[in-house]
Amino acid sequence: MKVKVISRSADEFTRERSQDLQRVYHNYDPTLRPQEKAVEYVRALNAAKLEKIFARPFIGAMDGHRDGVSCMAKNPNYLKGLFSGSMDGDIRLWDIANRKTVCQYPGHQGAVRGLTVSTDGRILVSCGTDSTVRLWNVPVANLTESDDSSDNSAEPLAVYVWKNAFWAVDHQWDGDLFATSGAQVDIWNHNRSQPVNSFQWGTETVISVRFNPGEPNVLATTASDRSIVLYDLRMSSPARKVIMRTKCNSISWNPMEPMNFTAANEDCNCYSYDARKLDEAKYVHMGHESAVMDIDYSPTGREFVTGSYDRTIRIFQYNGGRSREIYHTKRMQRVFCVKFSCDASYVISGSDDTNLRLWKAKASEQLGVLHPRERRKHDYHEAIKNRYKHLPEIKRIVRHRHLPKPIYKAAALRRTMIEAERRKAERRKAHSAPGSIVNEQLRKKRIIKEVE
Amino acid sequence: MADKKRAAHPRTKSLKNQKKSSKKVGGSDMKRKRSGPRLPNSMRKEVDRLNKTSSLHNSDDEEIDSDEGNDFYEYEEPLPQEESRKNRRYDPVDNYEYQLPDNFEDENVLSDDDDENDYDSSDRTESSKQLGDEVEDDDDERHMRMLQGITGMPSEVFEGKKKKKKNIVVPEAYPESEFNPSRDVLEGSGQITIEDLLEPLQGKAGYSKLRKRMHQMDKKSVAIQAPLPKVEQDKLERKAVYEYSKKDITKWEPLVKMNREAPTIIFDEDTNIGFSTVGAIASGFEPRTEFEKKMATLVNDEKVAEAHKEDGARLLEMNKISVEDYLEDRNHIAKMRSLLFRHEMKRKRIKKIKSKTYHRLLKKDRLKAASAESLMDPEAAKEEARKQEFKRAEERMTLKHKNSSKWAKRILKRGLNTQDEGTRAAIAEQLNQHAILTRKMNSMKDSSSSSSSGSDDSSDEEDIDRNSADSEEDGASKLLAKAKEKTLKILEDEDEIPNSGVLSLPFMVRGMKKRKEEAIEEAKHALQEYESSLKELEGTGEEENSKAGVTSGRRVFGAIQKEVSKPNNKIKTDNYYRNSDSEDDLEPEENLEVGNRKNNDLQKDVNINSVLLNEDPESHRDSVFKSFDEVVRDSGPKTSYDVSIFASGTWKKMKSGNKIDTDTKKPTKDTDAKKPTKVVKRVWDNQGLEEMNDESNSDSDDGEREMVDGIISSEPKASYKLPSQEELIRLAFAGDDVEEDFQKDKEKILNEENPVPEKPHLLPGWGQWTSFQQKKGLPSWMVEEHENAKKKREDALKRRKDARLKHVIISEKLDKKAEKLHTKTLPYPFTSKEVFEQSIRVPVGPEFNPATAIGALNQPEVKKKSGVIIKPIKFEEVNPHEKTEDHKPHGQKQKMNKNKGVSNRRPKSRPVVVKS
Repeated sequence: MKVKVISRSADEFTRERSQDLQRVYHNYDPTLRPQEKAVEYVRALNAAKLEKIFARPFIGAMDGHRDGVSCMAKNPNYLKGLFSGSMDGDIRLWDIANRKTVCQYPGHQGAVRGLTVSTDGRILVSCGTDSTVRLWNVPVANLTESDDSSDNSAEPLAVYVWKNAFWAVDHQWDGDLFATSGAQVDIWNHNRSQPVNSFQWGTETVISVRFNPGEPNVLATTASDRSIVLYDLRMSSPARKVIMRTKCNSISWNPMEPMNFTAANEDCNCYSYDARKLDEAKYVHMGHESAVMDIDYSPTGREFVTGSYDRTIRIFQYNGGRSREIYHTKRMQRVFCVKFSCDASYVISGSDDTNLRLWKAKASEQLGVLHPRERRKHDYHEAIKNRYKHLPEIKRIVRHRHLPKPIYKAAALRRTMIEAERRKAERRKAHSAPGSIVNEQLRKKRIIKEVE
Repeated sequence: MADKKRAAHPRTKSLKNQKKSSKKVGGSDMKRKRSGPRLPNSMRKEVDRLNKTSSLHNSDDEEIDSDEGNDFYEYEEPLPQEESRKNRRYDPVDNYEYQLPDNFEDENVLSDDDDENDYDSSDRTESSKQLGDEVEDDDDERHMRMLQGITGMPSEVFEGKKKKKKNIVVPEAYPESEFNPSRDVLEGSGQITIEDLLEPLQGKAGYSKLRKRMHQMDKKSVAIQAPLPKVEQDKLERKAVYEYSKKDITKWEPLVKMNREAPTIIFDEDTNIGFSTVGAIASGFEPRTEFEKKMATLVNDEKVAEAHKEDGARLLEMNKISVEDYLEDRNHIAKMRSLLFRHEMKRKRIKKIKSKTYHRLLKKDRLKAASAESLMDPEAAKEEARKQEFKRAEERMTLKHKNSSKWAKRILKRGLNTQDEGTRAAIAEQLNQHAILTRKMNSMKDSSSSSSSGSDDSSDEEDIDRNSADSEEDGASKLLAKAKEKTLKILEDEDEIPNSGVLSLPFMVRGMKKRKEEAIEEAKHALQEYESSLKELEGTGEEENSKAGVTSGRRVFGAIQKEVSKPNNKIKTDNYYRNSDSEDDLEPEENLEVGNRKNNDLQKDVNINSVLLNEDPESHRDSVFKSFDEVVRDSGPKTSYDVSIFASGTWKKMKSGNKIDTDTKKPTKDTDAKKPTKVVKRVWDNQGLEEMNDESNSDSDDGEREMVDGIISSEPKASYKLPSQEELIRLAFAGDDVEEDFQKDKEKILNEENPVPEKPHLLPGWGQWTSFQQKKGLPSWMVEEHENAKKKREDALKRRKDARLKHVIISEKLDKKAEKLHTKTLPYPFTSKEVFEQSIRVPVGPEFNPATAIGALNQPEVKKKSGVIIKPIKFEEVNPHEKTEDHKPHGQKQKMNKNKGVSNRRPKSRPVVVKS
């Protein structure tokens, strides 16, 4: 007779410390657990519910400006540093961790329209409607500095007065050039009082400019003639222009995909383009109920945040048609600028109500140090939620967002309008000669033409 | 001489000019379009047009002349080596004393060479070999002229030689400038063209090549267009820029693709957090508290460090012990060791003593001591009693001495008789012990009343033992006697043979006889055994002599029986059991048999040989099935047959038929006594009231079966006829309408899934105020609702999938709990249902996967550390081929790619780490 004996050594089952977990052996035979799918489904459901329960995205507001926040810049070299400029010409450096002003940069006579920081985090460039470009020294962050009083004000390193008011500024990645936009696009060097290069294509005002972080010589602008223009510094010439039906307020390059950028449009949508194929948008990101004012990509390149005139902030997947997340508070007014933090875990918004607000990029994320077990658990929850996200119950829970009434109503109205439009088009098509009316794709619909 | 020289050179030149001016009329295009490199194309054309006549005229004789010239030079070619100065015999020093006369200027200036200087570099190999530094050229020319003067040969000869040696140009005497124009220019007659310049090179290596090039250049030259408008220019430029930057940006594509397709993208920067290792932290440690300082002084003591430095021998110096201490310590240890050793030896010696008496005495001593103690001390006595009691209880519990040990069992298995005396004695002793231990209990109880002393305990025990043994023996003998009696009876009984039914068939009779004989034999055996065992019991001392030689009759009986039954087949042993064994044993077997046959013998196949059936049920079953199959094949669907079996009343009959078979095997009990019950049973049977299992429970059923058997056996004998298959089936389906049943079933299911609307009715008193309202009946809305509901139901029924299928029921009932686990439509990235289902098939949880796999299964799409700055992408070469191999499988996970499921099935691997 064959005798089977269970033999286990005591050593394997003895805990070294009382905190250690008891060792458990599993038999992974699938026949032993026939209900695995149901079990995991229930877990996914619970995970989705838990996510909703723990969704507390708002961390805090940063109060200090006396006018609406018009622009922000993050320090690419220092996680806690954030600069913000307001409509009254005030520039502040914030310590995000403490949510306090570290330093102020007085000097601008009109609204500050653009802020940017050099890649090494040493120099802050600001420009505004007073037709000046100002370079500032960024204080080196250390422990003693943060203890100081907040009335730390600095003198500009340089003030360059130019012919026209500025609308935006952006710094090249890993270079010493920065570009301002206004009546034209000017490329500046840190050390020159005049632009080293100027681009003009058309006569309209250029309202935003952004360097491509992956390709430091490529930049994109949007102008009030509803155009998006690409430039290449190597050839010191503009490259291409796309004219859309409505103007784009802001533009942002994907830092992980140097050929792709997304433009925040007035028509409540964002359009993701491939710089090589501008005749159609790659994705249309819908969701906002009013003009999208600003956009910023997460450093991971997988999502971006938008701020809108409808008083909400939304986070989109880089390839998602609808927003993953909507943030709003009662007191937040029109959002003029948004930024993703450099570690991709926070979102900062500046709005008309003179406040900056700090949000978590993932609403239900657990902050602080995670034990490996906790992390594994979170990962598992995430994985099963992702796996069963198509099932109706989970989908409903995950998608559900509680919206302020005006936005909810606006959304409903918008849906109605779009539906009506669609119906009209359908009927028109039905009543016209076959083939005479062609349905245009949404991705192409809003593009008027591509100009060489 | 100098004059001569002077004259010679201009002569050749003028000759050349003549040649040029006398060009052939029908010359080729090339020749007409010649141009000096300095002139712009358009201007030259203009000039050409103006000078057309002259040039035409010039070209006339050119070819001829050039031919002549060639001939002329050929003829002069062979030169002495000295002349070419190849061997450097001659002094390269030029002739310095030569002075230019005043009139030289006019004569000698030529633009040819100057023009030739401007040839582009590619032509230089051939035509501008004359290029050299001015000074040297000057000298060379002078030298050549001198040579010419001396030899009277044309300068071309020397030129050729010289060219081979050196790239020399014959320049002007004065640099050409606006103040110093060449003669031809001044005269305006000599339009110098490339043709002119090419002329002297004719026939040289590479000349044709050069000509061809010239030809091409001439052909291509077109007038420059007017510049484009600024707008157009900008547009073109922008286009170029865009194309360029597009091309440049495409280099990112493989990298981006790889990142996108990776199941996980990890943003992992090697951040230096500072001291990370224990060593690094320890190195920065500084003692702060007093204790730490103390420790530090000790640890960092110079002396200690010094001592450690070499072989550590000096550490010993610091660790001094006095000699006395050491000796004392050693002595103490030695003493202890020797004591231990002695004790050990003693124990060993005692253990080795084999004498049992010694040990017994020892034990006795111990006991005595204990008893003495107990006598002295009532407490100890009590303790002792308790111990004993415990022992007894233990014995009762474990039956340790009742031959249950391994050793005892083995001995018994081998047979006690084969053992030697000692073993037997030991066994007996053990049994005795057991008896003592177990019986003590009674005695104790007794002793409590009779107050027997401990001294005569043993004798008492023995007595009782014997008594009990006697009583046991008595019981056994009685049993044996009984069994013997019974067997004899059976032997006598067995004579009766059924004279009717199947069993009366000759082969059956034969078989029965055979078995009977065997049974008788066995019975005889048994009898013998009984007798022997009885004898044994009678004489206890005769144990050794007894043939069976077993302690327990039953056991031996079994063993022998086994031996006997071995040659027979299984059924026979069964029979044997039935014959001899108790009813209890029989019962389950019968049950089993009947159970088996229940479905086998449904056929009522009278052909089946009952003997065969008895002997080999398995084969019988097969045969039954075979015939069963045949039946099925022949007529009607199988299912219907099944139905028939269970529905028809004939079923019982068949069963009873089986019973016949089973029962004939065991002509056992006295039948006469039970006849009346059998009749009753039969009646029941026909009515189909009885359950099969019940039958075998009681004694009566045996009889009943016999009775039934009697009836049936008589039946086939009287009017047995093989029924045809159809008949059988008809019989089987008698009173059984399958279709109708099915219809009913379907209706039931339909009603369940689409319930019939409830008929509207009014509660008495509701909706009625007075009696006259009763006439109105139901309110119209109720009726309408009812109608609607009915209509709805009918529609629903019509819409069912099985509405038109008469013989099919397709359930449309939804399982609400399972519904949750399904999507209504196929979710977006998936293209087929299978792929989607695959993607959620395999569980990912820790209960279902080993810990090693879980990490990979549950990886998030983006892994990042909070607080670590993620920098934008940096370009790196990605091997696209490698990438396609490695990443494609995972890539399907991305939403852009349609079949996500494929990736989920595979274990994800190879995440991409982005180093920013």
